[in-house]
Amino acid sequence: MGTRIWAVGGGKGGTGKSFVSSSLGLHLASLERDVLLIDADLGGPNLHTLLGMRNGHPDLGDFLTNKISVLEEAAVKTPFEGLRIIRGTENILFVANLNHYRKLRLLRQIRQLRAQDIILDLGTGSSFNTLDFFLSANPGIVVATPEPTAIENSYLFLKSCIMRVLKLYMDHYKIPDLHQKMLDQIEKNSQSLYGFFKSLVEADRAYGTILYRALRNFQPCLIMNKVRDERDLHLGRAMADVARKYLLIDLHYLGAIPYDARVHDSLRSLQPFFVSHKDTAAARSIREAAEELAYSVEFSHRTPSEIRFPEGR
Amino acid sequence: MIKKIEDWNYYELLNVERTASREEISEAYQAALATYHPGSLAAYSLVTEEERRLITERIQEAYQTLRDPEKKKAYDMALLKRSFYYAPKAPFRKSVGKVEIEEAGQKRRFRDKVRRLLGRRKPAGDAP
Repeated sequence: MGTRIWAVGGGKGGTGKSFVSSSLGLHLASLERDVLLIDADLGGPNLHTLLGMRNGHPDLGDFLTNKISVLEEAAVKTPFEGLRIIRGTENILFVANLNHYRKLRLLRQIRQLRAQDIILDLGTGSSFNTLDFFLSANPGIVVATPEPTAIENSYLFLKSCIMRVLKLYMDHYKIPDLHQKMLDQIEKNSQSLYGFFKSLVEADRAYGTILYRALRNFQPCLIMNKVRDERDLHLGRAMADVARKYLLIDLHYLGAIPYDARVHDSLRSLQPFFVSHKDTAAARSIREAAEELAYSVEFSHRTPSEIRFPEGR
Repeated sequence: MIKKIEDWNYYELLNVERTASREEISEAYQAALATYHPGSLAAYSLVTEEERRLITERIQEAYQTLRDPEKKKAYDMALLKRSFYYAPKAPFRKSVGKVEIEEAGQKRRFRDKVRRLLGRRKPAGDAP
């Protein structure tokens, strides 16, 4: 079986992306899989802290500044069996603004890593770097919380992903004018993405077909974190429905993680919650989500050629 | 193909199977209404006021039809017919339409072919 690259992202900070990625990693490792976590939050890395580790070298920064030539060398063991980590770097200013060639080199080396599961813990925001890491992975998981700010940022993140996918498709099929048209329409006329799709399909069937291919190949997953009541529980499913109708994508809802105050306590004591509180509802729902993804055929196929990034040096 | 909201059928709008029971349809209706409710979190920032109003109307319409067994039956039949109507045609399908049979030339028989090969005159009545 080949390597599977997972990405955990989503617009807003504090939704629990690092919590979800570390827990996913811990659970997959407990299933006797060879798992490698990568802290791809270039602006504010702290995945190692969630695993009770200190920062130190080698880290991702050493690879990006050419101190080590192979990314594999940056992977260090964690206190947990079967789980390795590539820590983020403290040298933020240099690395956070990764240029295009460094990004392609990093993406290529990630694909060459020797592990069964590679989990990318992405940073906040919708910068090109974050989007490209998210799109190069399958499955890509968006973590949201039941608050308007988080929902708004999640939709923004998904919209940015869609625009990025469309841009890559348009480059692939050599129709650059369409991308400009899309940006103009959406920015100037304050037209919604859905409105733009509608007018595009009505104007030209060929464009509609490309759009359809692009959107069908983008299948992100959604986890609703810090759920407190019945109403929040339905929110994930409702979001998937809205995304299906207004973003025209198949947003795969993985389930909700109930709010648990003990997560905070575990963090304070530098103990992974997933290990110290194995029998909680929160840990259970992460296990379910991880297993649903790990054993599904749907997410085992490779990234379509249109959104495969060119090979960097 | 990409579907516009106007093209979603009632089952897709309410997010239920076509085999759903009345209770399931009623539950799905409540959920759909909540999803597109003015204060809904799920539609927050993505669905415009106009779009929200439109889809709420469509959801009401869908429920009014699907809750009534008579109307539901008629709607199901219409859906079925529509899907047959839009079924793609094979590009090289042999037509058996009445007009085309009448317009087609007489079928050549084996004997005619042999005659032609031997350079004999074409039989009378054969199409040019």
